[in-house]
Amino acid sequence: MTDTLTIDPVLVSVLQRRFKSITEEMGLTLLRTTRSPILNEARDFVTGLYDAKGRMLEQTEYIPVLAFALQPVCEYIVEYFGDDIAEGDTIIHNDVFTRGNQNADVAIFKPIFHDGRLVAWSACKGHQADIGGAVAGGYNPEASEVWQEAFRIPPVKLHEGGKLRRDVWDLIFANVRYEVVQEDIKAQIGGCVVGERGVKGLFERYGADTMLAHIDELFQSTERMIRKEIAGLPDGTYTGESTVYYDGVRDGSEMTIRLAVTVEGDEVTFDFTGTDPQTPGFVNAPFSSTASAVMLTFLMLINPDIPHNDGIVRPINIVNPEGSFLNAAYPAATTFGNSICGPTSDAIFRAFAQALPGMVSAGWNRSMNFAIVGKDPRHGMRPYVDILFLALKGGSGATEGADGYDHIGLINCAGGLLAQDYEMFEIQDPHVLLMHEYWTDSAGPGHWRGGYGTECAFEIDGEELTGIAFGDGLEEGARAFGLFGGADGPRNTLTLNYPDGQERVPRAKEVVRNIPTGVLYRQQAGGGGGYGDPFDRPAALVADDVRNELVSIARAAEDYGVVVDPASFAVDEAATDKLRSAKR
Amino acid sequence: MPRSLRRPVGERVLADGTVRAPLDEGDVDDAAARFREAGVEAVAICFMHAYANPAHEAAVAERLAAALPGVYCSASSAVLPQVRFYDRVSTTVLNAAVGPILDRYLTNLTARLDEAGFVGIMLIMQSNGGVTTPGVAAKLAASTLLSGPAAAPVAGLAYSEPHGERSFITVDMGGTSFDAALVRDGAPELTTDARIAKHALALPSLEINTIGAGGGSIGWIDEGGLLRMGPASAGADPGPACYGRGGTLPTCSDANLVLGYLSPEFFAGGRMTLDRDAAAAAIERDIAQPLGLSLAEAAFGMFRVMNVNMASGIREITVQKGFDPRDFPLICAGGAGPIHAAMIAEELEIGRILVPRESSIFCAAGMLRSDLKHDYVRSYHTPFSAEGLDTGRFQSALRSMTDEANETLASEGIRPEARRFDYALDLRYLGQYHEVRVDVPEAELNGPDMDAVGGCLHRTHNRLYGYDLEADGTAIELVNLRLSATGITEKPPIAREARVDTKADCARKGVRPAFLPGAGDFRDVTVYDGDMLRYGHRIEGPAIIEQVNTTVLLPGGYILGCDELGSFVMEKA
Repeated sequence: MTDTLTIDPVLVSVLQRRFKSITEEMGLTLLRTTRSPILNEARDFVTGLYDAKGRMLEQTEYIPVLAFALQPVCEYIVEYFGDDIAEGDTIIHNDVFTRGNQNADVAIFKPIFHDGRLVAWSACKGHQADIGGAVAGGYNPEASEVWQEAFRIPPVKLHEGGKLRRDVWDLIFANVRYEVVQEDIKAQIGGCVVGERGVKGLFERYGADTMLAHIDELFQSTERMIRKEIAGLPDGTYTGESTVYYDGVRDGSEMTIRLAVTVEGDEVTFDFTGTDPQTPGFVNAPFSSTASAVMLTFLMLINPDIPHNDGIVRPINIVNPEGSFLNAAYPAATTFGNSICGPTSDAIFRAFAQALPGMVSAGWNRSMNFAIVGKDPRHGMRPYVDILFLALKGGSGATEGADGYDHIGLINCAGGLLAQDYEMFEIQDPHVLLMHEYWTDSAGPGHWRGGYGTECAFEIDGEELTGIAFGDGLEEGARAFGLFGGADGPRNTLTLNYPDGQERVPRAKEVVRNIPTGVLYRQQAGGGGGYGDPFDRPAALVADDVRNELVSIARAAEDYGVVVDPASFAVDEAATDKLRSAKR
Repeated sequence: MPRSLRRPVGERVLADGTVRAPLDEGDVDDAAARFREAGVEAVAICFMHAYANPAHEAAVAERLAAALPGVYCSASSAVLPQVRFYDRVSTTVLNAAVGPILDRYLTNLTARLDEAGFVGIMLIMQSNGGVTTPGVAAKLAASTLLSGPAAAPVAGLAYSEPHGERSFITVDMGGTSFDAALVRDGAPELTTDARIAKHALALPSLEINTIGAGGGSIGWIDEGGLLRMGPASAGADPGPACYGRGGTLPTCSDANLVLGYLSPEFFAGGRMTLDRDAAAAAIERDIAQPLGLSLAEAAFGMFRVMNVNMASGIREITVQKGFDPRDFPLICAGGAGPIHAAMIAEELEIGRILVPRESSIFCAAGMLRSDLKHDYVRSYHTPFSAEGLDTGRFQSALRSMTDEANETLASEGIRPEARRFDYALDLRYLGQYHEVRVDVPEAELNGPDMDAVGGCLHRTHNRLYGYDLEADGTAIELVNLRLSATGITEKPPIAREARVDTKADCARKGVRPAFLPGAGDFRDVTVYDGDMLRYGHRIEGPAIIEQVNTTVLLPGGYILGCDELGSFVMEKA
């Protein structure tokens, strides 16, 4: 910062807003132009702007588990290329051992120059439909090393001074199965161009000195906000544990996360020392993925108005020693890493439940994901892959004063995951949807109940079908946990009914080969955990849920002690009083 | 809508219109019985892929009409026959929700007007910027949901006519909200992605961006020490601190008063006195002291943040859509708008600002000048190529929309020569998920010129998203055909003034200190009586122009003139 420059607090506000709207414009580009439903319906991407040192100016995470997925890579790229960056370059990256978060999440970075000087970066990262490796679609539950999961791309230039490096482009896409990935990478480059146009405009208007000084003040003001927020939390060390079941390799395996959260003054430390060692399979997370899980969970607990820039991460420390399944060492397989976000969040909620019982929620449903890879006979056997987002969305945990959200989906996405449009689902893939409904009795009972989960059934008319299960929540211990007397949500279920009458129940991590055409796919995604004693829930609210066929008459009596008339749906006050007082 | 009133009916149509499962009439009767018992007033009928084959929906509508006389029935294939189930269901439910209310209201109103001997024609404003007759509005009630600010573009066209401008931005700033719209080549931008309280409304609506910014917007300091304005508003009651109606929080109007832009004595033409001390105390306490600023600096900071917020609202409908706001003059209306107009324009580097004389009734004036307008859509998903396009099917989709439009316009008494039909295609690159709308001249529809239409797609895509796939030779897909049918009405003439030879000095009211953006301090500024300014008058900034319903701030470096319609025109000197 120059000495003579005075800071204009209003301009700081202006810049923060402007950066935010630029990242949203970049996001709009991806939403409207990409082809894979993972991007344009499930919105599995993040857009961001970074300063010349790779520090976050602003980002918009369309899926929150990507909340910290760009900054570490941007810093790495700045270190790696040093002075060898020119206007018109674009850089592609996916590698988890150079600070990436997941192999299938591919990032594009574009340096932004003003008066010949590097001043910022625009970047976007999206989950691509395929990135090579042994199994189409990016998830390989049979992998034991990174090379079985993906084609590794440490940072490499796609464009040099505005000119496409065709040899590099062709090398990368020779190792990727689907052409659609090339098209979606072009969309990401388009998104970065939109970001570059926006930031260049700001530097032209205000000049570099003013911009840089005010960006510095923006970081500091955000840091003041987050420090004040943390200072308001009671000092102390709080512990929480959570378990992931089955690593895809060892029957009966259980991996436990051990977390100690220490709040001290205006800083907070998340210490994962003592967490179980890395697995021989793909149930491992890279550091960036775990850091994202910590950030997204912590940001859910505090003031949502704090801007997302470098300032917000400064007082948050993460201790995560290498070698555990939350920070696996090279060359581990790690594609399940983002899916460990749910269990990591559980451990954080359990820890903060001791310090801030009114701020945490009960457990969210852990997602059971299943990808279908096959060929579409309607379009000349065109290959397709669908991570069945439509089927997997469960409910969130309840919190003090509010029921959980129904059909919100995994905590990794914190509500950002849209359900796919039913008609587009059938047009896009050779599938016929037969049912998609709230799952009756799936919310964990409580004074405030969990959010409802869903039931889904559809017929798959694709050919040469393979299914890839990569999820959680099939075991008793993985149910969405209740808090303070609230009950757990149910387990997830997943069933394939083959046309010959055979029923196949996949494991939570498994490649299911030779699935016959015409198979009936059925999935139940559980609801969230309840909060507080269900016998304290107002009887009228229970009766409403019975009328709406969300709670059965029997469970209303059993779980909530509320007797509801099956014809009028009125509460039988006398019978309810009797039931509620007897069970206490 | 409570889940207990959403009843499933057995039937299934696939995306190509074929029937996989027949309609189960027993389910329809069960639903009707349940609805009758619950006293339901309106039913929305929504089946999968009904846009491709509406037979089941039509059969249910008929059966329900017989079973539930007097109940408002709305079928999704009649409201919005296009693919995307969620959009279609949400729009149909909104239509059913407001249908009975609007129907009753219009029936009563028509009866009362008849009683009162009204001999004019009553027309209803729609969200698409056109008007319609009460009968048509009652059937497609959802088309009126966003109609409030929808007349602004039409009003803008009338006021910009003397300047030959057919492209401009209109903004309307009142007490609590700020509406911004973009008009290009005489046509406002349309969206099919509007929201009503979070529910999707996919009927074509004018793209009007409403943000929470108005005279009542409250200033506050966030936890990081940054100044924010709104979106919370003090509204009119309790209102800004200076209203003396119990409001104690510092608002945009309080800042404008402290800065000298508003007159304490002449607010609302003198019908209301503003309390400057109360405004100053509120700003001092909540903004100046926490930020360590002087009162004037704090008030001016509030003014600037307001301007930035409103400029961002305009940026969303220009920059974010790929248009440069500098290419459009700004037409600024609403009671609170003209104080901010010049500085919003400065923020966006817009060179010319038009403030209609009757700026506070801008939209109402626009409604009187609106044409009848109806939008139609048909889904036809196919490769957009000579081989892929079934010309017969393409033509029959066009014909069915055109016939429907002719029928409706005829029922509204519009003669054939006063009907205008604008056709458009929703296109995308093969494999993409969202479409780009491309306007197509009628002449090309007999056998569409694939290359010319494709060229439009490439240009639009690049403008919006930073790239196109022309060089890649990527195949193009057709998704929807659209028709916008206009029934042109006669417009009331606007009075034009003769040019005067006098000087603007005759309108001088006096001098008062105001905080000048350029000077960074208070200076004595000349105040003019806006009602005395005439076509041909010219004022150099800085100055303040006061009228009964609005105040215009003319900063230094700007010149204000009056045009023949009486509008104020501000330009950089």
